Amino acid sequence: MNKLIQFKNLVKEFDSQIVLKGINLDIYENEFVTLLGPSGCGKTTLLRILGGFLEPNEGEVLFNGENIAGIPPYKREINTVFQKYALFPHLNVYDNIAFGLKIKKEPKDIIEQKVMRMLRLVGLEEYGKRRVTEMSGGQQQRVAIARALVNEPKVLLLDEPLGALDLKLRKEMQRELKKIQQEVGITFIYVTHDQEEALTMSDKIVIMNQGEIQQIGSPTDIYNEPANRFAANFIGESNIIDGIMIEDRRVMFEDNIFDCVDKGFAKDESVDVVIRPEDIDIVPVKEGKLTGIVKSVLFKGVHYETIVETKTGTAITVQMTVSDAKPVQNLSADESMSANDFYIDISDIPELTIAEIIARADAQAWKTSTEELVSITKVDYELKEEKGSYPVTFSTAAGTMDTIHMIVADENKVEAPKTNEVIYAVNIYKTIDDIKESIALDTDLKTWANAQAWTSDGDTSIAITDVDYDFVPENIETGTYPITFSTRGYEYKIDTTQEHKVGDRVGLTFTPDDLHIMAKEG
Amino acid sequence: MMKKKRHIPAKIFAGLMIAFFYLPILYTVVFSFNESRSLSVFSGFSLKWYEKMFNNSDMMDSVFYTIAIAVLATVISTVAGTVAAIGISGTNKVLKGIVEQINNLPIMNPEIVTAIGLLMLFSSLAVSKGFTTLLLAHVMFCIPYVILSIMPKLRSLDPNILDAALDLGCTPVQALIKVIVPQITSGIFAGALIAFTMSFDDFVISYFVTGNGVNNISIMIYTMAKRINPTINALSSLIIAIITAVLLILNITPIILEKRKEKNGK
Amino acid sequence: MKNFKTLAYPYIVWSAALIVLPMLLIVVYAFTKEGNSVINIQFTFDNFARFFSDKVFFDVLKRSLYIAVMTTVVCILLGYPFAYIIAQMKPRSQVVMVFIVTIPTWINMLVRTYAWRGMLDKSGIINSLLGLMGIGPVRLLETGFAVILGMVYNFLPFMILQIYNSLSKMDYSYIEAASDLGADRVQTFLKIVLPLSIPGVISGITLVFLPAVSSFFIPKLLGGGKYVLIGNVIENQFLTSGDWGFGSAISLIMAVIIIISMHITKKLDRDPSKEGGNI
Repeated sequence: MNKLIQFKNLVKEFDSQIVLKGINLDIYENEFVTLLGPSGCGKTTLLRILGGFLEPNEGEVLFNGENIAGIPPYKREINTVFQKYALFPHLNVYDNIAFGLKIKKEPKDIIEQKVMRMLRLVGLEEYGKRRVTEMSGGQQQRVAIARALVNEPKVLLLDEPLGALDLKLRKEMQRELKKIQQEVGITFIYVTHDQEEALTMSDKIVIMNQGEIQQIGSPTDIYNEPANRFAANFIGESNIIDGIMIEDRRVMFEDNIFDCVDKGFAKDESVDVVIRPEDIDIVPVKEGKLTGIVKSVLFKGVHYETIVETKTGTAITVQMTVSDAKPVQNLSADESMSANDFYIDISDIPELTIAEIIARADAQAWKTSTEELVSITKVDYELKEEKGSYPVTFSTAAGTMDTIHMIVADENKVEAPKTNEVIYAVNIYKTIDDIKESIALDTDLKTWANAQAWTSDGDTSIAITDVDYDFVPENIETGTYPITFSTRGYEYKIDTTQEHKVGDRVGLTFTPDDLHIMAKEG
Repeated sequence: MMKKKRHIPAKIFAGLMIAFFYLPILYTVVFSFNESRSLSVFSGFSLKWYEKMFNNSDMMDSVFYTIAIAVLATVISTVAGTVAAIGISGTNKVLKGIVEQINNLPIMNPEIVTAIGLLMLFSSLAVSKGFTTLLLAHVMFCIPYVILSIMPKLRSLDPNILDAALDLGCTPVQALIKVIVPQITSGIFAGALIAFTMSFDDFVISYFVTGNGVNNISIMIYTMAKRINPTINALSSLIIAIITAVLLILNITPIILEKRKEKNGK
Repeated sequence: MKNFKTLAYPYIVWSAALIVLPMLLIVVYAFTKEGNSVINIQFTFDNFARFFSDKVFFDVLKRSLYIAVMTTVVCILLGYPFAYIIAQMKPRSQVVMVFIVTIPTWINMLVRTYAWRGMLDKSGIINSLLGLMGIGPVRLLETGFAVILGMVYNFLPFMILQIYNSLSKMDYSYIEAASDLGADRVQTFLKIVLPLSIPGVISGITLVFLPAVSSFFIPKLLGGGKYVLIGNVIENQFLTSGDWGFGSAISLIMAVIIIISMHITKKLDRDPSKEGGNI
């Protein structure tokens, strides 16, 4: 086959921002090539350079072996189907399609023949006299394709042409576009961010990210053997796990060594292990290569998307003391006040503010009869930077007072060196009413216990995803209850046809060729 | 549209057009300081035409009336127009269509038609022509512009926004003040600005509906212009100065406010 | 917004009294005898008959239309290229240029028209400059040229802004698409840009022709007593001779002319694609 287009070391900058970082790509005759990537990856820029609407800063574009730099769009044997079609609103369907031919001053009868053939090709024979503004999105799309193809270009560029259509129409047009491409037998270069579109239509997919090509290959190659983490994530959904290559065909992850089919990595090299959701099977615990607990099950129409957690995240347990203390009453002022004891880390004392004390003590005052909140105007406390219990007195302007204790203790935290996580939380004191009246108990417990998780270097906050306790909030009684906060663990996304129960312990299995090993990026 | 290299002929043409727009204005200002009556030779700097203008009580009265009418008409028509626009947006389609059509009449009609209509109305009702008729007329032709600049803002409001406000406990009046008005302020300001300049610059309608010695600047110029009189240049320059000041304030205030906000933010 | 519909009622009453009623009065006066009294109304066509039977008035009408059409044509010829130049500038410069074009419209028309009176005078600055070149003095004031110049000067910004709006709103992908389909810059302009900007030209025409045909102070200031247009006749009927019936009739005739011309203009804008292509 003939190399029709060659991009050589193409660089493009906008306002000193590099959007293409040295693109090298060959495109052959009669190929359906898809440029696939997230928005801002440079795919549209590449297309516009080829169309002649932009000039590259460096590198060259060869068309049939000739450099086409500086040739204006109207002299290129390339036509474009624009993102929002750009049909000329003042011309009808026929005149839109005939536009290019009229510019070339082709004889009238030839124009008519060609336009009619195009209208037939896209199935719009009856619509020649229609105004383009009166047509549906799908029909406008067909007109745009016909308007470009009628000029018999060597290459047709399509810039996210199906983006404006609804799902059903999009599927229909995907089939139709492929059919048209095969029928006219020219090269289509198709830009999209929709991986499914890319997989269904293309002969060749070019995955781009941040101005660079990540992988070039056929749809099956790209799906089965993603070149890196980005490609794996972008095409289909993947489970990507940190692993270490022990030797050829042996990879270790989750403290186990598994057989695989990849080789050529250095000994003990850190790698990403990719497993597609449909490649994992859920089996009884005994038969599993890994075991875990089902965390969620979503029905997706054809299958269930099941999330199994094989290893819990970092967890910390604190004690919650529940009392049946009632609010302080100030009958003469018709005011009530409540507050609770609380724990605080020694290290937090220097930065302690009154607002923080009120929040941590959950101090509130209100009109007894109307329940209208009353501000707390004074907070009295004495505090030293050492462990111990210190009284704090809250009061309102009307003289309602409540005294609680602030307990200063060492920092309560759990570090997990393996996952580089640290989690903090403190013990809490609450009343039965606090628990019963909470409308979002998990969130309130996190706030009350000041539960937080960070990466070990302290830079990034990590979400606390689970709050575990074994009481029923509606009938809680006085006593002490353990509460466990934890971060997300290792989770596998698995497509199953069977529905599993959340909370079940299950085994996971896969075969050596289901594991795709990729070098770590960067 | 497209950005391409500009050609020299285009630059020259643009330059000539700008000169065409501004030379007469520049000419007026420069010759208002001329010592002699000459229309073509600047014989020396002098403030004597300004002196004459300030000593001419008719001229000074006209300046006063112009500003007084413009301010009053702006305030009244902005408030009334805002209220009316909100009301109109709540009416049904047919009534809305009719009211909007009527509202467009003064904008679409030649000014002279509006002017004679009002003249006949005031005379038929035996209202004596003067400050009141002038103000009524100005309010009459200003309100449509206020409504016209507010309606698009009202139309682009989320239709559920009022319901949301009521749902969250606002009374209709509170919803109006706290939710609707803040979202159409830019339209209200634009309307007020148009109203002010329309009133400030109006000649045709004022000329027909006023009387009893109540004149605005435009009428003054029109009646004095029969003879060449450099005092008119001084009056013209005064108007140019006022409008330039208004434009500058309007364009610079937002920038200053922004800067102050930034400072306070820190 | 339904809750607020009562707020519209005061304005409906107001606009009935101050907008609709005056319009009705014009019609009533135009078709009735004996001006100022509302009692014993008598229907008549006399006012219209008088206008069309007197050659003087007919000449005034022709002259008004001629001046208005010329003004509009000159505004298009000057305004389109200027708007096009602005639309091709960098976005920042476009804002500045639009501002530059807008500012004069904020300044009182009388002031700007009066400025030309001084400049066009026999002893004015233009004649002095012509004198330096050995021409003139040329009589500029009290000519049709002066009146058209004054109108173009006053109304040109409206034309420029309307055309600029339609050009700047134009989707750039139309131009790219035309280029993609083989049209060079000139072809793209003639086949795409120009037809798509016609609506802007049309609204520009509306904004120029309408005030031009009805203006009476520009002909008075720059045309002197010699250049009487329809607006001046109306002014005279109301403020000098006091014949309201005749004045109203002339305004109605003018209104009809304006409506007809606007209709013709809109027709010119009819979309060619409505009639279908040349299959």
